[in-house]
Amino acid sequence: MNCESATRSFSLFLYGELSIEEEQSFQDHLEGCAGCRKAFEAEKAIHQALDAREKLPPAPLLARCRRDLKLRLDVTAARPAPWRAWFGWWPALVRPAGALALVAVGFFAARWTSAPRPDNTLDPMVSRVRYVQPESSGKVRVVIEDTRQRFLTGDPGDEQIHRLLLAATRESSDAGLRAESMDILSAQPASNELRGTLLYALEHDPNPGVRLKALDALKPYASAPDVRGALAKALLADDNPGIRTQAIDLLMQKKEEAMVGLLQELVQKESDSYVGLRCQKALREMDASVGTF
Amino acid sequence: MEEAVLIRAAQKGDPDAFEQLVHAYDRGVLRVAMNLLRSTEDAYDAYQETFLRVFKSLHLFRFDCNFQTWLYRVATNVCLDHLRKRKVRREEPAVVETEEGQWNRMDNLPEDRAQADPQRNLLNRQLGERIEAVLQGLTAKERMVFELRHYQGFRLRAIGEALGASEEAAKTCLFRATQKMRAALGDFV
Ligand SMILES: [Zn+2]
Repeated sequence: MNCESATRSFSLFLYGELSIEEEQSFQDHLEGCAGCRKAFEAEKAIHQALDAREKLPPAPLLARCRRDLKLRLDVTAARPAPWRAWFGWWPALVRPAGALALVAVGFFAARWTSAPRPDNTLDPMVSRVRYVQPESSGKVRVVIEDTRQRFLTGDPGDEQIHRLLLAATRESSDAGLRAESMDILSAQPASNELRGTLLYALEHDPNPGVRLKALDALKPYASAPDVRGALAKALLADDNPGIRTQAIDLLMQKKEEAMVGLLQELVQKESDSYVGLRCQKALREMDASVGTF
Repeated sequence: MEEAVLIRAAQKGDPDAFEQLVHAYDRGVLRVAMNLLRSTEDAYDAYQETFLRVFKSLHLFRFDCNFQTWLYRVATNVCLDHLRKRKVRREEPAVVETEEGQWNRMDNLPEDRAQADPQRNLLNRQLGERIEAVLQGLTAKERMVFELRHYQGFRLRAIGEALGASEEAAKTCLFRATQKMRAALGDFV
């Protein structure tokens, strides 16, 4: 081994990536070459300096990552498989207690499908209970509304599809469907309607996973005043610590004087230790004191 | 439980199995993301993105390679995207990167030590800046190979697989990275 190939081997030797033979001839060369020995010492020192620079994740970060991932996954996994949207409900109707189940379901305006007809499976009937009325005879009168399911296929940017997706994001009773529609919409070019829908979801959606997704989708608009207002509101009002932390992260993308008061207010009442620490860090980044004096 | 069993269960939609898989690897992924991206916010984003992608594409995993390798392929792609995006972002002066994590700052031991030996501290800071500069001067791929080899202790063969390249290509990347470091830091140490 000559000096040049020895020099090439410095790091590979330190990483244990040389073969046994290569290692042997590398060490033989070092023994007989003072120049390479000195250079190799320098290489070791570089490695140590690099080791010292490693930035490890702060311990609470892993817990936060896991918790929020679970929220996001729960809502992702809740997405109905296409077949479930057709047939998911009907087996309940053929159970002996079917008639009772039917009435109970009606109160929640849930929907189910009629038994699939083999001749026309692509066009199943969807029924929705509009109204139930017990009669004096002991029987019950149920008003149902039948609708045929239709398929629309088109680009998510097509106006009709776009509207339906916006409506599903806002109004569907199925969190998985809301999340999925939101995902598709978020990949579309920005629009005021989309932004409004996301803001609505951030404030009103009952599912924290969907709210977290709305926050993710609002990232590109994080410096707009209305979005910042909604973030501030979420920061103070949302009961989910993952969402409060994300709201701070997004707000901190643009440091404004007005945030100091907000963060100071939050830090006083915050019950979650991670959010509290994130708040304190944010205040320090803005050179503000943690307490209100 | 054996990993292959967990993977199969997760592929069939068992959320607990998926969670166990996540917990087996997420520490390592978060470490890579944190050390590469150097901000808790970016590391958090990279973590979420990695495991959401893994979740969505798990059904495509065919057991034809090591699961860890497959997972790191996703994770390194996510981190490389972030690094590239950041290079673009850097050119906009309005964005200020926050380098100091709160826990580093709360832990005031190093500061005490620094005050005891200001000269050494200055030298360390200069060295730190120099390292920072040379790491930023690496290509995203060199940076990734270096990260996985130097900090995470991956074998070059596994790194090559994770990056969709040969062991030889990974070795070349690593060699270029260490050469640049030597050129930039050699007179300092
Ligand atoms: Zn020599």
